[in-house]
This record gives sequence, structure tokens and C-alpha cells, in this order.
Amino acid sequence: MIRPKLAIAGLTACSGCQLTLLNCEEELPEILRGFELAYFPMAQSSNDPEAVFDVAIVEGAVSTKGDLATLCRLRNSSRLLVAFGTCALHGGVAAMNNRVNTREELIRGVYGEGTGSFESFPPSPFKNFVSVDFSITGCPPEKHDLIALLGALLAGTLPPTQCYPVCTECRSRENLCLLLEKNQLCLGPIIQGGCNARCPATGIVCEGCRGPVREANVAQELELLLERGFDKDEIKRRMSRFTPEWDYGQRH
Amino acid sequence: MGSVIEINPFTRVEGHGSARLYLDGSRVERVELCLTESPRLFESLLIGRSYAEVPDIICRICSLCSTVHKVTALLAVEDAFGTKVSEVTGLTRELIAQGGLIQSHALHLYCLLLPDLFKVRGVAELALAAPELLKTGLAVKRVGNLIQETVGGRLIHPVNITLGGLGQRISRDKLLKMREELEAILPACRDAYRLFSSPPLFPQLPVPICLAVGPAAPPLSGEQFRMTDGRSFPVNAYRDSISESVIPYSNAKYAQVLGHEPTVGALSRLNLGSGLGQEASRIFDSVKEEIVGRDIRGNNVAQAVELYQAVENSLSLIDRLLEIGREGAGNVEVAPKSGRGTAACEAPRGVLIHSYAFDDAGICTGADVITPTSLNQGALSRDLLALARGMEGADAAVMVDALERLIRCYDPCISCSVHLVHI
Repeated sequence: MIRPKLAIAGLTACSGCQLTLLNCEEELPEILRGFELAYFPMAQSSNDPEAVFDVAIVEGAVSTKGDLATLCRLRNSSRLLVAFGTCALHGGVAAMNNRVNTREELIRGVYGEGTGSFESFPPSPFKNFVSVDFSITGCPPEKHDLIALLGALLAGTLPPTQCYPVCTECRSRENLCLLLEKNQLCLGPIIQGGCNARCPATGIVCEGCRGPVREANVAQELELLLERGFDKDEIKRRMSRFTPEWDYGQRH
Repeated sequence: MGSVIEINPFTRVEGHGSARLYLDGSRVERVELCLTESPRLFESLLIGRSYAEVPDIICRICSLCSTVHKVTALLAVEDAFGTKVSEVTGLTRELIAQGGLIQSHALHLYCLLLPDLFKVRGVAELALAAPELLKTGLAVKRVGNLIQETVGGRLIHPVNITLGGLGQRISRDKLLKMREELEAILPACRDAYRLFSSPPLFPQLPVPICLAVGPAAPPLSGEQFRMTDGRSFPVNAYRDSISESVIPYSNAKYAQVLGHEPTVGALSRLNLGSGLGQEASRIFDSVKEEIVGRDIRGNNVAQAVELYQAVENSLSLIDRLLEIGREGAGNVEVAPKSGRGTAACEAPRGVLIHSYAFDDAGICTGADVITPTSLNQGALSRDLLALARGMEGADAAVMVDALERLIRCYDPCISCSVHLVHI
């Protein structure tokens, strides 16, 4: 059997997506049998930076020249590039203030006045720079999404893409609707599902960690939240936590 | 003639880092430690956000220790508002933090460090060289994660622990399930220290000045910091004792505690009075020559001792939660007011400090986070230099291998921010 060659890497991120692979404790031995782990600095030494890969699974946002160089190198040396997690797909938490502050303002806030210039630009998703073949969303991503991808790759294909909001699974679990029944600022209607509505199931609002669902009716969600008395700035602040670039449609 | 040996990137650690050794002939002139993680500038991102958002955002600073970041942030926000949570809430937070420690220590010891002991490149080759050991380690790690997921609602960045309480209390069935799984890994954790009790054969390194939160765990949070030189200082006045300096033109943030480069983590905790139970004390006694008053090479066996203690701690926390059952107070209201709140916890890798300031409406006006790896940075740089000097004349590949092993002794977690230290 020819084992597909994998690269696992991270850019500007918390390593949580790479950790998600290592969190597949029960499946890991089988994954390691099915794939050749050709590049995985977080869990392997002596990686060959010149190698070519069948698939590169990469987490994090792009926020430095080094990030961009790594991304371009992995794009060029891999048949498939997978954007792994919300930062890679939408920018993620580090990008939340991209529309609010300049990079210099944020740097001064952490390192004080008079600090030298950092090689840092607003954290951005992969799609701003390179073509992406497949994405797994989530902060953190779901293990089952990663396993579905790896299984599909072994079968020479990619998994079907999902396109439904968090509310779909939340309603089928018969959770109390936090938005309508408890009047809480829940982003479920406009956020990509697939997490089995984990957070609402424990009584916590959807914070939007999986990014926008395709064709989300953002204007309507905004209208609904405004009607329910939430402040517009607060709503936008909450929506931007993982995704700075929302299309608010006609409702600004 | 001058030359440079570079270790880039560090492997089998969390985050991005590199180091450069500057040589003059065979003499090591200096070592430059570059923690090159791209900055995410969390402290700035929090300004202007509601207190309610702070713990949810800041836990994203790190994945391996997102749980303890979340717990510490909750404690710091509650400290600012004078919120007192119920016993059930406190115990549940302790439990998830123990789960986090089990998963983090097991990941480090069995997936990242064990390959060194078998002289293989990493986890994939380990699966061939020592499949049963890897399986044992993964089984331990899985139970840590089971606790994090059961209590926190998901594996990383937990949601079920909230300001003032819990989204949902953990049911009796789930507590019993965790109990059963913990009991199953107890024997493996009892024996873990045997694997990691031989330190790498390096030249002697400087003896560290240990720093830890007191009293010893549990609880993981405390009001005082203690050091091995006998000094202590209060958590809420940490800024008087811990200085972080920015070195001009080098974008460095470099922490010193009372003028020293501190060492934090498992080694420091066990050196400062450990809070170990009877069985863990027995284990500790059999390896204490590697830990008490020793250099950072003792950190990994100290982690193995703690791994066992964390399982014991989890079991007693679960027992207490089962005893309380559905009784006891639930969530409390959190009422924002202006002020500053600070909390310090023992994260798996050592002292973690969160401090936030809020205005009347509970909007964040200041945020300060000091992570274990930033505290350890000075000591790591010092030890890299000491080790490189102790190995002067050795083959570059041998030296690089030893330096990488030294870095892994510290179990660094680099996702905090960019730090660059010149020695």
C-alpha cells in the first residue's frame, strides 16, 4: 500500500488544531499506519523541509512574512492544501480587531511605546493568498471532521462539505433556544454547524467559533438581535470574535 | 574564526522557536534564544471588550493549557468584582484543571519526550518502536481529555465553566464514568516515573531558583508566590516583584522575579513542598535525588510524579462532588464594578498570572498575562548557554541534539507572544 505523505504545520495560532490530531488518542495508531507523517515539527524531529507531500494540513492565520513563506512553500510542495481551523479559514481570534485597530496600535498596547517595528500584518485567512482545496472549521475543530478527512484521503477523495447552521443540530437535540427563549446573544443561526451544538447543549450561547455558514442571513440575525434590545456595537464585537469580515448585507 | 550553529525550528515542543549558538573557534560566545511565534497581541485585543468576553477570548492564547487559562481568567475577573463562587463551582474548576494537567503532562511525556528515549524522530516512529508504551500514554492522555470534555463541554477551549458558575452541573452518571476511567489508568500513572527517572547525561547545569504559587495543589490557585530562596510575595502585588523589560530594538519581553531568572513548572512545585498524597509521596521519595535541589533535567520525572497525583486529586474531587450531589449552592450573579482583579494558578508548565482592569460598566481597560514559558525564558537561555559551554568542542550535531533535549526538559509552550532574549 502506498501511504499518502502528510505535512502538518501551524502558522499564527495556538496549536489547538494540530493538538486535535494528537487528541485522536484511539485512532492515532491507525492514522500513523495509514499515512506517512513526512512533516510535523510539533511531534517529530528531523523533518525534511524540501519534501513534497500529498496533503498539507495547516492551521493558523497568516500574519508574518515567515507565515506567508511557509504557506507558499507548503502550497507549492503539496497536491492538496487543507485550511485547518477557524484561523486558517477566517482569520480567527487574532484577527478580531482587523477592522478596528491598526497593527501598530495593538503592538504598542502589548510592548509599550517606542518599540521597534514588528514584522507583523493583520492576521488573514489562507484564501487571501493561495488556493485552498479543503477546509475544516472550528476553534477548536471537531475530531470527527479531521477523521472524516483522513478517511476520505485514504479512499482517494475528499469528504462532502456541510452547509447548515448550528441551529439545525441544536433544534434536533431539543435544546432550549437561548436566543428566543432566554433572550441571549446567540449566534447559532448564522454559524456553520457540525459541532452538534455543543455549547448551547450545555446552556452556553454559540460564540461563533466555526465562522459563517454559507448564505447566512446576516442582516436578519442583526435585525433580530437589535429588536431584542442588544446594542449594535456589542453585536458586531461578538460577531467579529472569530471572523472580522462579515457581509452585513443591507443592514449596516 | 566565528561561526553560528542554528537550531531552527525547535521540534516536539508547542509553538515556534529557534536558537543560535555563536562560536569563536570551538568557544561558545553566546546563545540567542528566539521564541519566534507570531504575536497575536491578546492583551490589546481585550481592551474595550466586555468582562463577560474576556475568559472566552483569552483561553485561545494556548491550546495545550486552554483550560487553566480559562480558569485563571475566570478567577481574575471574579476577583475584580468580589464574586464568591459556590463549592461545587470551585471543585468543578479544580477537576477540569486536573484533567488539563493529565492531558498536558501525558502529551509531553509520551508523545514528545519518549521518542528521545527510544532514539526515534517522533510519534510515528514511536508507534513502531514502542507501540504498547505509546498506547499506554495515549490511554492516560485520553482520560485527561475525557475530563476536559465532560466538564468543559469540549476538548479544547472549554465553555461549560463560566463566570459565577457552570453552564451545567456534571451529572452523577458522568462523574461515575470519569471515576471508572481514572481508576483504569491509575496503575500506568503509578509506574510512569520509572520511564522518565534517568535524566539526560549532560554536564551539570545551574541549580534553578524555583517559583510556585502557594499553597501546594489543590487548589491550583493561591494568594502567595513562594521561592526556593525562602522569599514569598502576594499574588495581587505581583507587579512589584516581577518585572518584564522590553529590550530596545529587539522586541523582547523578559521576566525577572526579585532580580532573578525564575524556574517554574513541575520541578519547582515539587521543590517547594508538593501537596502529594501518601502513594505519590512514596513515588517521590524513590526519585527525589533527581528532583530536590536539582537542575531542570529533573523536570520530566517531576511531571511523571505529578501525573499520578493528578489522577488521585481528580478521584477525590469527583468523590466530593458525588457526596454533594444535587445539594449545595448553584451559580452566583456577577455584578461588574470598576477595579482590578488578579489571579495566579499553577498551569501544567508552571505559574500563570492573569490580571484585568475594568470600568464601571465592566468594559476591560487593561489586561496583563504572564505565562509560564515567558517566566522560564531567562532560565532556559541561561541553561542553553551553560550546556553549550559545557560541551565546547563537541560535534555540532551532538550539541544540537543535546540542546534540543534541554529545551524539551522545560516543556515550553511558545504560543504566548514574541520574545527574544540576548545573553
